[in-house]
Amino acid sequence: MSRITIGIPKALPYYYLNDFWESFFSNLDVDLVYSCDTNNEIIERGERYANDEMCLSLKVYLGHIDYLKDKCDYLLIPRIEDYGNRNQMCTNFLALYDLVNNLFDVHILNYNISSKEDELKSLIKMGEEIDISEEDIKKAYKKSIKLKTDSKKSDQDNLLIVAHPYVVYDESIGKPIINMLNKYPYNIIYSDCFDAEKCNINGSILSPNLYWKYPKENIGSILMTPNLKGIIFLSSFPCALDSLVNEYIIRKIDKPYLNIIIDNIDSLTGIETRIESFMDIVTQN
Amino acid sequence: MNCYLGIDIGSISTKGVIVNDQDEIISSCYISTEGSPIEATKRLLNKLEIKDDYIIKGIGTTGSARKIIGLMLDANVVKNEITAHAIGTIHLYPNIKTILEIGGQDSKIIIIRNGIVTDYAMNTLCAAGTGSFLSSQAKRLDINVEDFGNIALKSKTPAKIAARCTVFAESDLVHKAQIGYSKEDIVAGLCKSVVLNYLNNVCKGKKLEEPIIFQGGVSKNKGVHKYFEEILGKEVIVHPNGHLMGAYGIALLAKKNKSNKEYSHKLLDIKFITLGTECHGCSNNCELIKIYKDNELVDTWGSKCGKF
Amino acid sequence: MGDYIIPSKYLLKHLINYEIIEPPKITSKTKEIGEKYSPEFVCTPFKYTLGTMIEALELGANTLIQFGGGCRYGYYHELQRQIINDLGYQCEVINLISGGKLINLKSLLKKFHIKKLKGLYYTFITIKMIKYMDKIDDYIRLNACYEKEVGSMKKIKEQMLKAFSETKGYFDLIKKYYYFKRKLKKVPKVNKEVMKIGLIGELYTLMEPMANYHIEDELIKMGCRVKRFTNVTYLLFQKKKAVKKYLKNFFIKYRMGSDALDNIHHTKYLCEHDYDGIIHIKSSFCTPEVTAIPIIDKVAKEYNVPIIFFSMNLNTSETGIKTRLEAFYDMLEMRKKR
Repeated sequence: MSRITIGIPKALPYYYLNDFWESFFSNLDVDLVYSCDTNNEIIERGERYANDEMCLSLKVYLGHIDYLKDKCDYLLIPRIEDYGNRNQMCTNFLALYDLVNNLFDVHILNYNISSKEDELKSLIKMGEEIDISEEDIKKAYKKSIKLKTDSKKSDQDNLLIVAHPYVVYDESIGKPIINMLNKYPYNIIYSDCFDAEKCNINGSILSPNLYWKYPKENIGSILMTPNLKGIIFLSSFPCALDSLVNEYIIRKIDKPYLNIIIDNIDSLTGIETRIESFMDIVTQN
Repeated sequence: MNCYLGIDIGSISTKGVIVNDQDEIISSCYISTEGSPIEATKRLLNKLEIKDDYIIKGIGTTGSARKIIGLMLDANVVKNEITAHAIGTIHLYPNIKTILEIGGQDSKIIIIRNGIVTDYAMNTLCAAGTGSFLSSQAKRLDINVEDFGNIALKSKTPAKIAARCTVFAESDLVHKAQIGYSKEDIVAGLCKSVVLNYLNNVCKGKKLEEPIIFQGGVSKNKGVHKYFEEILGKEVIVHPNGHLMGAYGIALLAKKNKSNKEYSHKLLDIKFITLGTECHGCSNNCELIKIYKDNELVDTWGSKCGKF
Repeated sequence: MGDYIIPSKYLLKHLINYEIIEPPKITSKTKEIGEKYSPEFVCTPFKYTLGTMIEALELGANTLIQFGGGCRYGYYHELQRQIINDLGYQCEVINLISGGKLINLKSLLKKFHIKKLKGLYYTFITIKMIKYMDKIDDYIRLNACYEKEVGSMKKIKEQMLKAFSETKGYFDLIKKYYYFKRKLKKVPKVNKEVMKIGLIGELYTLMEPMANYHIEDELIKMGCRVKRFTNVTYLLFQKKKAVKKYLKNFFIKYRMGSDALDNIHHTKYLCEHDYDGIIHIKSSFCTPEVTAIPIIDKVAKEYNVPIIFFSMNLNTSETGIKTRLEAFYDMLEMRKKR
């Protein structure tokens, strides 16, 4: 019997969980297949399924699903609810599995990440679906590592990009903007490059009532960046969480900032002008 | 000869038809509303040839100002334009299965099976991708909106334009022009994005079966029509009188609901005035419209508490 | 939110020694203020509540109390407080539910010097009052289409609300409820065929008539029997239990945040109970509902029940809504005749 191939869409949870997936599945008898980087075609595919008020990143996700759907036996779609009551997730992550299950006719490998359910148990249940024994799952789980990113400290003048990794690292959404920024003599730091726990605490200092994990860690990075010259908020339209949290933080900080909301990758041209004038401000300061 | 009057007063244009007992259009007229439905209706009635031997047995009004004009003309049928459009179209094309419609402010799709409306949907978000959006972009590009379609047809490589939201679209348009796209490509790109936008938003989850007809003000735009056919890969009918379909439908409804009443030909000899006021009777602060017919208050609209 | 101001005011009046300022009803001015000071892409309830808050501050309020909620509602107050402070108002904002959990009640009691027993007693009456109001509303939604004289049930409800606001105690409340309930049942009715419509969607827009442009009244005027699941009774006391049951639904495996799961299940319920049509309303950019819509649409399609979606914001045109409702009604009528 040939090995099972599991498809991983390069969007949304990929950016948080892929390190774990890679090492976890490498200990099991399966093959992984990834979707291509986000491009125009992926977005167009996504828009065919998406509702017009869904955020760009979710549309992109659906596009990746559509791209992968006949290239693998199973699609890996976790459902992420929260990491504790003060560390909740955007509702899109709660809905991912059910949304895809209803919109597409595909086989899905699903497990649940929630403070109410043990992750390993959920993975074991997932293993049953593809006939992998409990022992194998447990072994693979033990061996797998959950990578922690280290901060790249620099004494240079830093520009901080506050954004969800699925926005900023996306080939079509964030990359073009990073390329524009790389022209300037500043060191660019991403908000997810710090120790998550410390960010979390710092996030709570900035906004005591914030109960979403990732937005909290994103803004926490502001307090942890040395030589901070300017902040760029990058979000995909109409991100529910950023629309509140970023607006709040903007009112709290006294650093130069630029708030970029990306609606459609076709309209990136206008952003260049805004970045130019923002850089003028940063340099003058 | 018996005849029936159908008037469709939209936000941008006002349309009128006269229909005889054989359901034939014997006179029709199309003018711009210019923000005043009452004035537009008066001009319309002057232009429609109501001959002396016509006996007006019914009047129907539809469109966004249907109620006020209905009251003014004492219409026997006042119906929303979606239903009116469907009825008019089904009458002309009994086999029609899909009506695509893009008007001034709204875009909608009507699904018909066996001559009955079974499903419909409208745009939810904003005016992006509708007629008024195209007109404002035409103005920005300094083009007559009537020429829009012909210019679009010249393009071979339409520019990609994000037309999901008016604000985004406008800034995008400016930048596309700045980085050197030709006018034809931008215009074609706009037409194409209107179609994509419509198919992705309004038609989500709907089965577009043939025969398909395309109506509303934007159906006159050949560029949009072309991209509909190109993207759907199906034939899309555009009727030369497509813009009159609402007025035609409502005239047919007026005929269906006729009573023994005969309307006078001097429809316009009434004084009809509306006054907008704000009521401070309670904390609702409703914006009221008071309607006077021959100097007599006949109705008050807009009250939320039911006081009027 | 809607008529719930009456029990809220009642509770506060009896518990705390503050002067209570009733927030003004939402008007075009509220919308203007809300729109002006809100970030552009937040969901619509943020804008309404911010507008109302600023108007209340204008009337002299210095403490604002807000019920948060499960999704973004719970975080509203943080940003709203900041916006208000930036505008130069001095005030305190108290939010009762954050991150889906009630905040520390003990400290709240202490802050306002409320005795525990007294607090319990009035909370109990208030809850009862809300439950009664919801029951009456349910009855009216289902029966107002039959009334002989249009608006007679609503009139009785107004009287009831007034009486409720002057409630003297628990037994007084019960007496009043049954008095008005009997009165409602006696309203002369005509027997006729009506359209059965289910109303689902996001809670704020469903429960605040100003935010949904009085959609219920419009439907009743057209002669529709309206079923709505969401009200405060449901959200506070029934939802938790109900959700467990809903998870056995064929279409879904998990809770999807806020009321998304509930709405999917209610769609199924309405389809299975011979409703003629379903109307889904929400505020623009309501994220949990946005992800539920494709599934709701699929459920309705599978049962072949027509459904229409409304996305309300501050600039939604009222005539636009009416036109759509009428057309929807016409369509249902044509289908029924067939």
